[in-house]
Formats: sequence, structure tokens, C-alpha cells
Amino acid sequence: MSGNGETAPRDPGYRPVFPLDRGPIEEVHAFWLAGMSCDGCTIAAAGAQNPTVEQLMSARLPGLPKIVLHHPVLSVTAGKAFMKAHHAAREGTLGAPYVVLYEGSVADERIAGDLGGYWSAMGAAEAPDGSKQPIPTAHWLRDLAPGAAAVIAVGTCATWGGVPAAAGNVTGSMSVMDYLGKDYLSALGLPPINIPGCAPVGDNITETIAAVLMFLAGFGPLPEFDELGRPKWLFGETVHRRCVLAGNYEEGKFAQEYGERQCLVELGCWGPVVQCNIVSRGALGHAGGCMNTGGICIGCTMPGFPDAFAPFYKKPPGSTLSATLSRTTGSFVSYLRQFTQKSRNRTPNWARAQAVPSGWANVDGGSSIAERAVGGVYDYLRRRGTRFEAGSARQRALQAPSHRHLRSGQAEREGAE
Amino acid sequence: MCFENLPVEFDEQGNARLKDGVKNPYDYQTRTPEEREARLKDLAGRNGQLVDIDYDPVTRVAGALAFHTTVDLEQGVVLDTNSMATLFRGYEVILRGRDPRDAAFISSRACGVCGGVHSTASALSIEMALGIRPPPLGIVVRNLLLSCEYLYDNPLHLFVLAGPDFSESLVRQTNPEIWDKAEGAATRHKDLHGYATIGAILHDLNPLTGKLYLEALQMTRVAREAYVLLGGKYPHPETIIPGGVTTFVDITVLNEFYMKMVKFFDYAKKCVGLWDDVFDFFLEADPRYLDCGRLDATMVDLGQWDHEDHYDATYANCNDWGVKRWSTPGVLVGGKLVTNRLTDINVGLEEFVEHSYYEQWEDYPFKTDPAGNPLSPNHPWNKTTIPRPGSQNWKERYSWATTPTWDRRTFEAGAYARVYLSAVSGKLPPSPFVESTGQSLRLRVARGEALPERTFEWSPPLVWNAFERNRARAYAVAFNLMVTMENLTRAMELVKAGETRVATPFEIPPEGHAIGVGFWGAGRGFLSHHCEIRDGLLANYQIVTPSTINACPRTPWGEPGPYERSVLNTTIVESNFKDDSDFQGIDILRAIRSFDPCMPCTTHVMVEGSDRVVTREVTTCACGID
Repeated sequence: MSGNGETAPRDPGYRPVFPLDRGPIEEVHAFWLAGMSCDGCTIAAAGAQNPTVEQLMSARLPGLPKIVLHHPVLSVTAGKAFMKAHHAAREGTLGAPYVVLYEGSVADERIAGDLGGYWSAMGAAEAPDGSKQPIPTAHWLRDLAPGAAAVIAVGTCATWGGVPAAAGNVTGSMSVMDYLGKDYLSALGLPPINIPGCAPVGDNITETIAAVLMFLAGFGPLPEFDELGRPKWLFGETVHRRCVLAGNYEEGKFAQEYGERQCLVELGCWGPVVQCNIVSRGALGHAGGCMNTGGICIGCTMPGFPDAFAPFYKKPPGSTLSATLSRTTGSFVSYLRQFTQKSRNRTPNWARAQAVPSGWANVDGGSSIAERAVGGVYDYLRRRGTRFEAGSARQRALQAPSHRHLRSGQAEREGAE
Repeated sequence: MCFENLPVEFDEQGNARLKDGVKNPYDYQTRTPEEREARLKDLAGRNGQLVDIDYDPVTRVAGALAFHTTVDLEQGVVLDTNSMATLFRGYEVILRGRDPRDAAFISSRACGVCGGVHSTASALSIEMALGIRPPPLGIVVRNLLLSCEYLYDNPLHLFVLAGPDFSESLVRQTNPEIWDKAEGAATRHKDLHGYATIGAILHDLNPLTGKLYLEALQMTRVAREAYVLLGGKYPHPETIIPGGVTTFVDITVLNEFYMKMVKFFDYAKKCVGLWDDVFDFFLEADPRYLDCGRLDATMVDLGQWDHEDHYDATYANCNDWGVKRWSTPGVLVGGKLVTNRLTDINVGLEEFVEHSYYEQWEDYPFKTDPAGNPLSPNHPWNKTTIPRPGSQNWKERYSWATTPTWDRRTFEAGAYARVYLSAVSGKLPPSPFVESTGQSLRLRVARGEALPERTFEWSPPLVWNAFERNRARAYAVAFNLMVTMENLTRAMELVKAGETRVATPFEIPPEGHAIGVGFWGAGRGFLSHHCEIRDGLLANYQIVTPSTINACPRTPWGEPGPYERSVLNTTIVESNFKDDSDFQGIDILRAIRSFDPCMPCTTHVMVEGSDRVVTREVTTCACGID
């Protein structure tokens, strides 16, 4: 796929100039453009709490420059006043650094343009025939990207193409990086930054913006990005590795019905291969997160979404092998764990008495010969490499001085009797 | 007899049929571009030169919408309007040829503002086509998701999107005389919100700095935290599927969800008190505000929130389970209730594309619905989406929205339609939290941290306008909360009874032909998904959204859509301008924003006697565009 906002190949002698070279920046404009979008990324950003959008915009965070946000949903001004800064940035007269945040896919406006129309537009301009015609949002991106300190693609539509670019689309939708092309670099020398997710975790959006700006202000560490421009600290691991249900996987326990709190792979979860942090971070305010609540992972942060993961709620083919393996080893691991779990459910007193004084149920406090034998080996291994043994002679000797007074009282009492 | 324009009548059993002897029952007259041109020329002749002003873009609505009006500033009247949607993504095309199970996830992406509404409408439509009845807890959890989410959606609109239009900063700028009155005006509901004067409320409505603005942003997060406990994420949930939900339901989930809801007990009371005070003040301060966005209360709602004892996913029984919903489906024509039957709503529904960037389709596969009621060739089940982008022309095609009509009328959709129809229908199931009297809606909001229990009552106003839409939306906050509490109680009961199944398993039949419809609602009202499944794949998929309904361009026979009509009725009260160069169009923007437009919208205002078009973008969410 080739975009139509491509820039010329880079000059080999090109060196980016960072604002740091000119001293810390105090104010940054942010233009939020919505192309083939559902506004879900705007909503996700508005739900973020680390930091919140109002914190970003109010210059109340030391170490962070003030962000002047130009967003069609949140803007107070409208009409001419709202579009003035857009035009100034395009013409290079804004007088302050700016970033472009792009939400939604970029439509191939050449398809609609050939018919005299458009797919997605914001604002209007005079056409050669004197009539007012809408300005395609893609053209705003094309015109604002070269002067931007950074272009940040927000959400899977903008980062990879997403649902509007799914099979059978008529709009030729593509991602920001497809549209701007391989040679695009921002004024700071950055390719587009990609924050995927449909919609992304709101904190992932505001945290990335804040991290970039705190670095530029000389306050924060250098944020790292992976080979596809994803924030590495957010998308470096698969969502399965930190999944609350992943422990079921290693024991070979797989849910067969919705609502069962076990590993969801066999119901269609793609978590083991998907780079995302939603279950460890939570979706919003550290709550929710797909598999935490029973939802499978449909791969919405990945470039292949949606077609490479569809149909959803069908077992991924790769899981047949891996789930069979983990069932085989997992059932043995699970058996051993139950064994150890039982003995860890005893206090030292109950273990000595071989009885559990529970009023809730008749709990068998005894242990079989096999349990005692395996338990002995287990405890021997547990004590290896350490001098510690609960209640050992050495521990008693070391604790003895603290027992002196209590013991003398005890001796007196025994003497009096 | 609910139909006045379509030649549809009913037999003794209540089944609809086409009237005998009508030769082409679904024919209609199309007004030609020439007639439209003549009318504009006539307007120009009577009023002198018509001129262009640009409001570009209109902000604080979601999605993509443009609006074109012609205004006579001296007379303070609006002469002509056009509403246009400025975005096409092709979801109805992308959905064709896919596995029916994926429709919920793909169609969810139509709108990211009120998340989960499309997933649910889609799930209902697949359930009907394939005959899947979800278990009770699955139905109840869906209700919890889709009622608590409006506790985010409605306050977001009231305080963040529409609220700034009533704030000190805007009112001082556009109408200093109103601000002067506000400063001295005493409030009536200080006990609910703590403010002694209207001026103090308007001050705290100031965007980005006002306490009420910031508090609302925070409350929208609390509601979404509750939502993601059940839905996994927001806006596009991960747990809503045909057959129910995949949610883990246990004591922790129910407890944490409840603790989030508790925070809304006082906030819901505050919303009602604040907005009652603000809107009463404006309407009393200048009676011309009665005309702001005024319409005759013609609205359609499909109802929402199924009762788990009644919903069976069948079309055959939809009139029975429809009226058992926790908001009642129905049609209101000029403030008069004409039907509560979902089949009547479905049979009367048509979509026209004469003024939109689409080709007319040719085929007419479904002459009747599955129950034998007649369907128009323009019914969604018969429609094919054929995009044809082209240049914008007010006389011909000017919008990516289609024109949905019911009984050949354009109609309103909205959160307020849920409140209105539930109030006047008198059909809500018995509940300790919410009651419909047939004339009003009673909402019993429990004791909160600071405020005692209060019962609120909403009754239809005499004049239906922008202020009343917003007021009903403020009551909708309490309505949503009460529906959530009713369903939370039911979820607890089901878990107590051991009814913990959340979904009904099903297979996609590799062969066969079936159709279904999801009758549901979005944050902004009416939402339907019509599907056709043929041999294991989606053969057709049609979505009708509230913002398409409200923002639609004219009907082929020349009737303007709801935005267009409501702006035509608006009187310009704005006083603080010299000429078109500093004219804000605040009254027009208030009229449009009162619908909570679900698409970025641009308002073009042509001011009479000037030489520019004022264009503003008004945005709130994208689901008006398919």
C-alpha cells in the first residue's frame, strides 16, 4: 500500500535538531485530528488518570510543558477561532512547537476525489469553481506533519489501519505510517509514534504524550520505542505474560464455557501472542482489562487486527499444540501443587496434633504415609541452602534472651504451686 | 391505527397489511433541484442578498457533521438550513461476507462514544436470526453495562459538550443582559447543589476551569470504571456476544460495581437540581428561548434494557417482550403516543438517499417481515449501501447520512425520548426504583453520602425545545441509575438462586437463510441493526443510528430533518454583536447541541446581508456515520 502523503527521501546529511538544544520548551500546541475514526480514542484519552487530560492542559504538572490542545470535541472555541491555529501551523507562523495527534485511519482521498467528493473532512475551502468544498482530514495530516515536533498515531486505526482498513473496505483506508511513508521524519527527526489499541488504554495515551514532553523538557528519561514505533515499556511483552488467568494455562486448566474463570485460550483468546498491557494496567483507573473480566483477547493492538484474528471466539489454531502440551505437563504440576497446598493449609499446631479444629467442615488433619514421606523430602529440600529451620535449637537459643523475664515469672508461678 | 401516511392498515388480530387498491403503495414525490433553486431565489428576492459566513468547525460534538443555515440577523430569524455528515467509513460494506459472530466486535467500532451499544444491538440481531435465547444473568449483565454507561454519557454531554454554552464565559460574551440577570437570580434547589445564585452555577460551568465541568469529567471516569468491571474495556467492550455475555460474575465484581454506583446517588440528584435551575432561569429570563430548537415532539424509541423473564429473542413475540423493557418502545407524533409495538416501528421504518452520497439500490427481497407485515422497498432489510462520493451541492447531495423516516416523517431520537416514551406509556414493569404513571416518570433516588432519599418526577413540557431536551437528559441520569439499581438487585437475586450461567452456546449453521433485527438504543436513543445471514455468512447488514435520524438531510419530498427543522424554528436571542463578523450563532449551536450530535458537525451559517458563511464544527460522536 502506498500513501499519498509521502515525503521525499531524507538528505543523507540530515541531523535532527532537538528543542533541548535551544533550552527547555514551556508550551506545546497539540492538534488532534480525527480521520476515519469512531472518536473512541478521544474518549479513552478523556478517561485517563495518569495523567488526566485536564492536568496536561492546565500546566499544573512541574516538569511538563503546558499543552495547548486543539481538539474538536473538547475545544471551547469554535469556527474561525478554532481553525486559526491550524492554519497558522500549516503556514509555519504558529510561533511555538506543536505535535499532531491523529485518531482514525487515513482514507485514500484520491478514490473519492476522482468523483469530486471526499470520505472524511474537516473545515471547508473554496474550490476552483468558487463553491465551498470540505477539506479532507488526510490533507490536514499531510500539511501539518512536516512541521510537527512529533506525529503521534493514537489507536489501531491510526497506527495500523484497523477496522476501516479491513477486507472489503471501499475507502482505501490505511495507517498514518502507510500514508506518510517510510521517509517521513518529524521536525525532531522522529518517525510516527504508534500507540495501538481499539481503543487504547487511556493511560497509555496520556503517559506516552507526557513521557515525550517530560523528556523534551529535560525532566524525564528517554522514552524508548520498538521497531514499529510502539512505546517499548508498554508493548514490550505479551498480554498473556501478565494475565491474571495465565496461571491456569501452566496447569492446563482451560475454560470451556463463558463465565468460567480459567484460561480463555480455548474460547478464542489470542493473549499469548498479542503485545498489550491491558490486564496488568487495567482498562481505566486500574479496573477492568479484558481477561480480568472474562473477555478474550481479539488482538486489537496488533497490525493484523481485525482480519488476522477473525472469526473471533474461535480457538486460535496454534493453541491446539500449546494447550495440549500444557495439559500434559500441567496436570502433573497441578497434582503436585495440590499436595503441597494441603500441607501449607496447616498451622504448626494442627500439624503436630494431626487435627484441624474447624467448625466449617470435617477437615482431615491426618496425613498418609505417602504424604509424610513426600513431605519429609519436601521439607528437607526446603531447608537446603539455608540455616533456617522453624523452631530449631539454634533459633531457640538465639531467641532465649528475650524470653528471660517471662520465664522467670513462669518459674515463680511453678515454685508457688 | 398508527399510520397516517403509509397505506398500511390492521386486521382484527392487529396484523398489518397494505390497503387494497393502492397501486404503488410506497411511491413518493421527489422535489426537483429546480424547485429547490426557485425557492432559494424566492428567499433571496424577498430578503435581499444572501451571504456566506463560515463557522468552521463546530466543536464539542463527536463525529463529523456540518450544518448550513441562512440567517436574517436584523429580524433574528433563520431562513434556510442544511445538515450534513462529513464522514464515510463503509462499515456496512465491511460487514458483508463476515462470520456473524464477528458483527458485534466489528460494528462496535462504528462508535466509540457510547461504547457497547452497537455490540449489543448486533448481538440481539444475530440472536433473533439464529434463535438464541440468552440466560437470565446474561440479559441482566447486559442491562447493567448499558445503563451504567449512560452515567458517563449523559453527564459528559450536559457538562462538557453542551454545558459550556450556558457557562458564564459564553453568556457574558453573547448576552451580557442575561448574565446580569443571572448574577442576581436566586436558585430553587440549593438543597441539592449548594449554589445560592444562577450566576454561581454558570461560573462553575466554565469549561476547563469550572468546578462542575471538572467534577463531571471525573464522574464520567467513575461510571466507566464500573463499566469495565463487567465489560473489560471502554469504549469497545470485550464481553458482549450473541447469546449473552462472557463476564465473570462473583461477589467482588458485584460489590465493586455497586460501590461505584453509590457515588452517583447524590450526583444524580445534583444533576436534576442544577439543570432544572439553569433551564428554568433561561426560559424565564427571555421567553424567546422557548423557540430555541423548538419541535413538535415527534420521536421514536425502540426501548432498551430487556426483562430477563420476557426477552426470548424472537420477532414473533417482540411486541410482548418489547413493552416489558425497562424503557418502553414507542412512537410519539406531535406529543401524542401512537403505538408501543416494535413491529409497528419496524414496519414504518424507511431510509432514503436522494440527498446523500449513495446510489439508490434496485432489489426488493423482503416484501414482508417474518410475521407477514408489509415492508417498503426502502426498509433497512431491503437496503444495499452503495457509496457514491461527489461534490457537495445543497440542492442535490450534501451528506453521508441517509434520511430515515417513520410513516414518512422525520423524527427525533435521544436519551430524552427514552424518558418521554417511558413516562407517557405507563408500561414499565413494577420496580421500587422507577415508575411510569402514564403522565410522568417517577424516580426514587436512594440516600447518598450527603443528601437524603428523593423522589423526582419528570412530566412532558408544554413546549418541546433545546432546553427541555437537555433537562430530560438530566433526569435521564437518574433514570439510568435507577435502571442500574433495579438490574443490580436482579443480578444479586439470580446469583443467590444459583442462576450463574451468562451465555447460551450456539453454532453458526453452515447453510440456511435468516434475518434478524436488534432493537436497542444508544446514549442518544434509537439504534437498530438489521442483519441477513445466508449460508453461514452475513449477506447484508444495516445500521440506523440516532444521529443519522437527527442529522439527516431532507426527505425526497422536501421535509427537513430534525436538526434542520429545529434550527429553522430558532429565534436569534444573541445580542452582543455588531455584524456577521462577530456573530457567534450561539442560539443555533444550542439548538443543534441539544440533540447531543453524534458526529463532528460543521455549522455553516449564511447571514443575510453579509458576504461570508459562518461555519462551525459541532462534534460529539461518530456513530451517525456508517
